[in-house]
Amino acid sequence: MDVDSGPSLMAACYGAGALSSLLLARWSGRFALAVGHLAALAGAVAGVGVSLGVLLGVPGRTLTQPLPVFFPFARLSLSVDGLSAYFLFVISLVAIAAAIYGPAYLRAHSPDAGSARQAAQGFALNVFLGCMAFVCCAGDALTFLFCWEGMTLASYVLVVSDDRDGENARAGLLYMVMAHGGTALLLVAFLALAERSGAFDFAALRMAAGDLDPATRTTLFFLALGGFAVKAGVVPLHVWLPRAHPAAPSHVSALMSGVMLKVAIYGILRFAFDLLAPVAGPLPFSWGWTVLFVGTTSAVLGVLYALQQHDLKRLLAFHSVENIGIILIGVGLAMILWRQEGADGALATLALTAALLHTVNHAAFKGLLFLGAGSVLCRTHVRDMEKLGGLARRMPWTAGLFLLGAIAISALPPLNGFVSEWLTFQALLGGASRFHGPAGLVVVFSAAMLALTGGLAAACFAKAFGVTFLGRPRTSHAEHATEAPPSMIAGMMWLGALCVALGVAPGYAVRLLDAPTAGLLQGPGASAVVTARGPLVLSTALTPTGTAISMTMVAGLLIALAAIAWVLRRGLQPDKWRVVPTWTCGMKPTARFDYTATAFAKPLRLVFAALYHPRREVTRETAGTPYVVQRIHYAGEIVDLAETQIYHRVTREISAFSQAIRARSTGRIYGYIGFVLGALFVALLLFGVRHP
Amino acid sequence: MIGERPLGLVLLEMILLVLLGPLVTGIIQKIKARLQCRQGAGVVQPYRDLTKLLRKGTVQADTASAFFRFIPVLVLAATVAAGALVPVIRAGPPAVPLGDALLLLGLLALARFLTAIGALDAGGAFGGMGASREMTIAPLVEPVLMMVVFSTAIAAGTTELGALAAHHGTSSIVAWRAADFLGLAAMLLLLPAETGRIPVDNPDTHLELTMLHEGMLLEHSGPGLGCMVLASHMRQIVTLGLVAALFFPAGPADAAGAADLLLGAGVFAAKILVLATYLALVESSYAKLRLFRVPQYLGVGFVCALTALALRIL
Repeated sequence: MDVDSGPSLMAACYGAGALSSLLLARWSGRFALAVGHLAALAGAVAGVGVSLGVLLGVPGRTLTQPLPVFFPFARLSLSVDGLSAYFLFVISLVAIAAAIYGPAYLRAHSPDAGSARQAAQGFALNVFLGCMAFVCCAGDALTFLFCWEGMTLASYVLVVSDDRDGENARAGLLYMVMAHGGTALLLVAFLALAERSGAFDFAALRMAAGDLDPATRTTLFFLALGGFAVKAGVVPLHVWLPRAHPAAPSHVSALMSGVMLKVAIYGILRFAFDLLAPVAGPLPFSWGWTVLFVGTTSAVLGVLYALQQHDLKRLLAFHSVENIGIILIGVGLAMILWRQEGADGALATLALTAALLHTVNHAAFKGLLFLGAGSVLCRTHVRDMEKLGGLARRMPWTAGLFLLGAIAISALPPLNGFVSEWLTFQALLGGASRFHGPAGLVVVFSAAMLALTGGLAAACFAKAFGVTFLGRPRTSHAEHATEAPPSMIAGMMWLGALCVALGVAPGYAVRLLDAPTAGLLQGPGASAVVTARGPLVLSTALTPTGTAISMTMVAGLLIALAAIAWVLRRGLQPDKWRVVPTWTCGMKPTARFDYTATAFAKPLRLVFAALYHPRREVTRETAGTPYVVQRIHYAGEIVDLAETQIYHRVTREISAFSQAIRARSTGRIYGYIGFVLGALFVALLLFGVRHP
Repeated sequence: MIGERPLGLVLLEMILLVLLGPLVTGIIQKIKARLQCRQGAGVVQPYRDLTKLLRKGTVQADTASAFFRFIPVLVLAATVAAGALVPVIRAGPPAVPLGDALLLLGLLALARFLTAIGALDAGGAFGGMGASREMTIAPLVEPVLMMVVFSTAIAAGTTELGALAAHHGTSSIVAWRAADFLGLAAMLLLLPAETGRIPVDNPDTHLELTMLHEGMLLEHSGPGLGCMVLASHMRQIVTLGLVAALFFPAGPADAAGAADLLLGAGVFAAKILVLATYLALVESSYAKLRLFRVPQYLGVGFVCALTALALRIL
């Protein structure tokens, strides 16, 4: 089949899925869910087909397709170039897993859901996936904004879809407010360009942007960056993310954290490197340094706040903030190095490759982890890690796959997280040697922060995995958990296999990056820079010596050594094997001996106390004498600096302002008429002065 | 041009490190004993301990999951694989690309991560405490180690340890720049932390509340414990080898003959011996720091490493 008809096929699949979910739910909600997810699966497979067709097809080819005329004033179209195709690829990969995982999860998690809710979930999932795919394929500003808005609305429906306690509704409201604040910024940026070009398609916007003066260009960039940063969950605009993502059904959380944030990254790349880039090429330095700074801050703060979360899904959501930061480090570095080195500089390509590779890597392991958390949630109905434990014996497949994801996200070899962080480190190192003076030092500091981030992520996932899956079950929920249904395991296995494949043979993924990197930077493609020595070797030929590593060889070595170590492990008396209770200083072992998540993270809470402002309250109930303690109550809390320092302050100011206005509102109609007249007078005065 | 190391040599070096790992521990213990005016056990005591452990049966906690028995295997494999990335006898990049300093640190981090997972598996408070503390110190050590690697890598333009060592060549200490000294200072501060020794950790205790690494090994027994102990010997010699490759790569870079290889091995042994003596001296002359003082200690290392990097860049 021809690639050209791919987008129509995708639209048809998602559209059919959305409609059939609504229609079939009248007969059977369960059947509607199955059909809806099946259609989503077909759409995702079509998406993979389209993207691979463009990425591996004729280099530099852009697939364009006009859309039917909706508005007399604008031509709408789809255009799939390398960058679009790559993001479509990432979205579709995770969508496949979510579509396989979804039906069984929804049935197991909320068996008593009415058919109306199931219809809404099937409908919204298809709309969500379709809109995400078509944001990346949009060829004009209107299609982009329509799909962007559709993505927000559909995900909102999904976030509030399994409301039990009103918490979800609050999270959804915060999400809506913040997302629309961001969209407002995007609207301004797009409309300012459209006003100059007179048309909405990207080609016209690009032309119009060519004539901009530097100040306007930079203002527009920062507007767009602000808009996309809200969606990407960049610190300090992240506050909605750890609330909204955990509230959604888990496969939707996987999609929101794994790929919806990436759509924002797509927007930043499209805006900065394509639409707004000066004709002469490189971008102003201020853009790149800002993005690098924002990325570094997000990475460190994201992981630090993740460390202190005890809600499994919330912890994962904070890690998304961290990983978006790591991607933005690569993006910012690419911007700076592109400016510094010019179009044929290999370093900018290296940095962009790192960022794009981390995009697919994060999608794979974060998707996997959210699906794993979903399996735990649907079997125990508990998200608080302190109430879990011992699940590895009860849910071995889920535990093993979660561990795989944990190793990948902690940037440990031989899995995929390490590969993209390695490339980011190499780009940072190359960048540091290109800049002399303070600029180089900033780059180096970024590298140090990235190393800190990796280490803290490992600590966080040792905690998350250890407390959730190991030791003894702490509650009866955890004690009576059983393994998740096979289709859910299959969805996770798909993403787990991706993590392993992208880690052990990353060179093949780098080939897919040729089109986007060459397209954006007009320089050498990714595989010319990163896998020049064959797809199984990652190399950076930036200096005569260069660095080359082979993840494939190291993975092979690890397997061989593990086989030898297994023989050693059996020892000389493999039959002498006793199983006894854990030694707990002579007391009867209970679940209360297990380290809890709070206790595990305590040393780091104290080390980084300046960022957390930890508060704790311990009250003792004694039996008359202080020496006989009957009960101890412990309450601990940390704050999110962004919330207390920015949002709470703004809220306080707004309510103070409202109070001040309230004092002046008399409730009488002529008072208000007076206000209106006064405002009109001031406005006339201002405009009259400016336009005489 | 830099001579390349064939894969056979790389594997030979790795095996050499595995065989010598316990000896380094033995030597450090002996020096410590002599400094405390004790006779001490012989330098081959760690080998005796290992063979004793391999002969024992296994006692496993009833709460441990199926992962538990794989932990020692994977930890040992990751640590030994890290050993393949250190140049021992000869400098120069491996003929078949394998891994660089970042991958080495990554493999060590993988081993540490798995050790912590194993410690949490049995569900005892000691394991959890050790894991929690180890995973507190590790994220603070790693950035500093990375900075030290970068400060030498930036001059050479590569992070591959063999190529780095070859780039350094046989330059004597007289030709060192300030950045080298600061980088070495940072590295020497970090060495006890990375090898689990005083003033950060205490390898001699099992049940005191000071312990980090040993606490995580409590629930392992028999051959499994043997694997974990061998892995920690290996981790120590690999870390020392990393220091040697970064700062004292005084081995023949393009040697081919048997005599040259022997010479290379001898020089490497001498470097490791010096660093081992340093560790023993530090252990004998300092007390263990309180856990919450350790970040400050590592902060000094961070400042040294960052200054070294700044000097390179400016």
